[in-house]
Amino acid sequence: MFLTRSEYDRGVNTFSPEGRLFQVEYAIEAIKLGSTAIGIQTSEGVVLAVEKRITSPLMEPTTIEKIVEIDKHIGCAVSGLMADSRTMVDRARVEAQNHWFTYDEKMSVESVAQAVSNLAIQFGDSDDDGNAMSRPFGVAILFAGIDEKGPQLFHMDPSGTYVQYDAKAIGSGSEGAQQSLQEAYNKSLTLKSAMKTALTILKQVMEEKLSSTNVEVAAVTPDQPFHMYSKEQVEEVIKEIA
Amino acid sequence: MFGQAILNDNLPGAKQHHWSPYTDNGGTIVAVAGDDFAIIASDTRLIQGYSILSREQTKLFKLSEQTVLGVSGCWCDVLTFTRTLEARMKMYLHEHLKPMSTPAVAQLVSTMLYHKRFFPYYVSNIVAGLDQDGKGTLYSYDPVGHCEKNRYRAGGAAGAMLQPLLDNQVGLKNMKGGVLPDITKEKALMVIKDSFISAAERDTSTGDGVIINIITKSGVEVMHFPLRKD
Amino acid sequence: MYANPNSIINPSLWPNGPAPGCFFNFPGANVTSTSSSSGIITRTQSPVTTGTSILGLVFDGGVMLAGDMLGSYGSMAKFRSIERTIKVNNSTVLGATGDIADFQHLKAIIEQKVIDEDCADDGFTLKPKALHTWLTRVLYNRRSKFDPLWNTFLVAGIEDGEPYLGCVDKIGTAFSDSKIATGYGAHIALPLMREGLEKKPQMTQEEARALLINCLRVLFYRDCRALNKHQIATITKEGVTIENNIELDTNWEVANFVIGYE
Repeated sequence: MFLTRSEYDRGVNTFSPEGRLFQVEYAIEAIKLGSTAIGIQTSEGVVLAVEKRITSPLMEPTTIEKIVEIDKHIGCAVSGLMADSRTMVDRARVEAQNHWFTYDEKMSVESVAQAVSNLAIQFGDSDDDGNAMSRPFGVAILFAGIDEKGPQLFHMDPSGTYVQYDAKAIGSGSEGAQQSLQEAYNKSLTLKSAMKTALTILKQVMEEKLSSTNVEVAAVTPDQPFHMYSKEQVEEVIKEIA
Repeated sequence: MFGQAILNDNLPGAKQHHWSPYTDNGGTIVAVAGDDFAIIASDTRLIQGYSILSREQTKLFKLSEQTVLGVSGCWCDVLTFTRTLEARMKMYLHEHLKPMSTPAVAQLVSTMLYHKRFFPYYVSNIVAGLDQDGKGTLYSYDPVGHCEKNRYRAGGAAGAMLQPLLDNQVGLKNMKGGVLPDITKEKALMVIKDSFISAAERDTSTGDGVIINIITKSGVEVMHFPLRKD
Repeated sequence: MYANPNSIINPSLWPNGPAPGCFFNFPGANVTSTSSSSGIITRTQSPVTTGTSILGLVFDGGVMLAGDMLGSYGSMAKFRSIERTIKVNNSTVLGATGDIADFQHLKAIIEQKVIDEDCADDGFTLKPKALHTWLTRVLYNRRSKFDPLWNTFLVAGIEDGEPYLGCVDKIGTAFSDSKIATGYGAHIALPLMREGLEKKPQMTQEEARALLINCLRVLFYRDCRALNKHQIATITKEGVTIENNIELDTNWEVANFVIGYE
């Protein structure tokens, strides 16, 4: 696709004659450079697992935060340009709190995805609504949460498109991981086995050796709202899949 | 200071047109919540000063299959507030793909009222409906958004007059006896009708007729009965 | 800003007169948008040239508006041929009580709206309910700016084959009824209209007209700001007709028997 580069590469809101927005497509390509993240929805809750790329032994691994809390009942995993993701996570948090303030209820996972999607497409020309961003976000997000419809997993890409998934992988290892998820997934998966599945697949697609320092795991269940797994808890699961 | 003395409006024959952005249009709302129902009723008289503007103006606004809002006070504020609220209900439906629940409406009403804290909607609100568990719920407000969850409430012009009656008949206050049973629909309807008949006797701004909305899981049933017209 | 002790102790030189070097200032004559001594801008308005009551009555198959043609300047019957009831389009008429200037200002805006709709030529026209709601928003927004349009309007028309009659005042109090009277008419004519409708809820056009004419006559007898020159607008599904300059025969013989009030 890169052979037919043309002037349609430049403007972020200029369609090519084939009806494509190259900059958006390139942004989606940027995700494939990011670290792998996996989300699995089960009837007991939703699991998120991501790889953390430790590029130097002098690096402090705990400062890489790829799974964050949006609200008590929603968490998300990101892959791509981390700096961009901060803006989107901020928006998601503000929208969730604003919804709670106005309606005294938890914002649904889909509505959070919708709200962030509104931000994601604010690139291009400025208009009355304020200044536009110069380029699309280079981030894909997995929203995991529990609302009145039960456990929910949503995926959003830089075009602002969001879709609900039973299980979804994003980032550099996503193609292989998605294939594995498709084979491993079934509706009666428990949370525990979903977590094992996620780590098993991460292990397959990661270049580094999987350890409790280079992965992050989190889950949202009805009893326990968004919670990260401790190093020890992760180690235990890793032992089980070894 | 010298100029102020000249502009003395209190001289005989001096007349100054003045106006207020607010007016009292009267009207009374009564609501009672039961275990699996909520009833809200309003009179149908609209007044201004000693004049009756209309004898058939409901003050109940059906917001969804689960929720009805009763408003009285300054009618122009009632119209503006309910229209804004109805618009917010539709926007919520489109944004979140579900109708707003009664507790969500209750919070939104409070937020909307408080956002006009320094030029308030001069209205007395009661939100009645079923919550997500199908239980009858009811919230009442002051004009600047203070919100309280109740089992029964009278609001508007004769609100202060009827609340003690409801305390006695619905709340069974100051009575000997054990645990209060939930009020039945029949008893609630009876108390509401008697309340309005009594209010119409003593409050000139309440009368002409009553519209009752009964909210159950099968929807909103509307009833009507006449009051004295003098 | 300290008060001059002298002005408190000594009575003013010329009470209620203009300050030295100023023009005479009548009490209550507030100028719009003046700064008071406290620095707060006031927009307190008062009506100038005013029109009195308008009556509206629904009958079987249509609705009527009626009112006189006087523009009063305080107590002076200054303008004797003011059209206070106007045709908006083939389904809607508008009648106004209160400040004539405010009404004519709004009239110009509405007429432009109607022209714009004619130009669009899409088959849509301003319907009475739409005009009523629009007016309510305009008046409410103006009162919220503390700069009201000093009118009470009646909107009458036919919508979806049904007669419609609505009222809205200067702060945006709006309602719809089958019989409405504004101003003095709310006290004097409305009870007569209610009585008429109670006796016969479905009036014919002729009966409605007779009732309104009777009301206009009573208003002329009793309302000091009324004039014996009237407009009656009739809206049916056939369209709008406005009769102008209707003069009613009156009988003042009874006046001779009223004694003790001279």
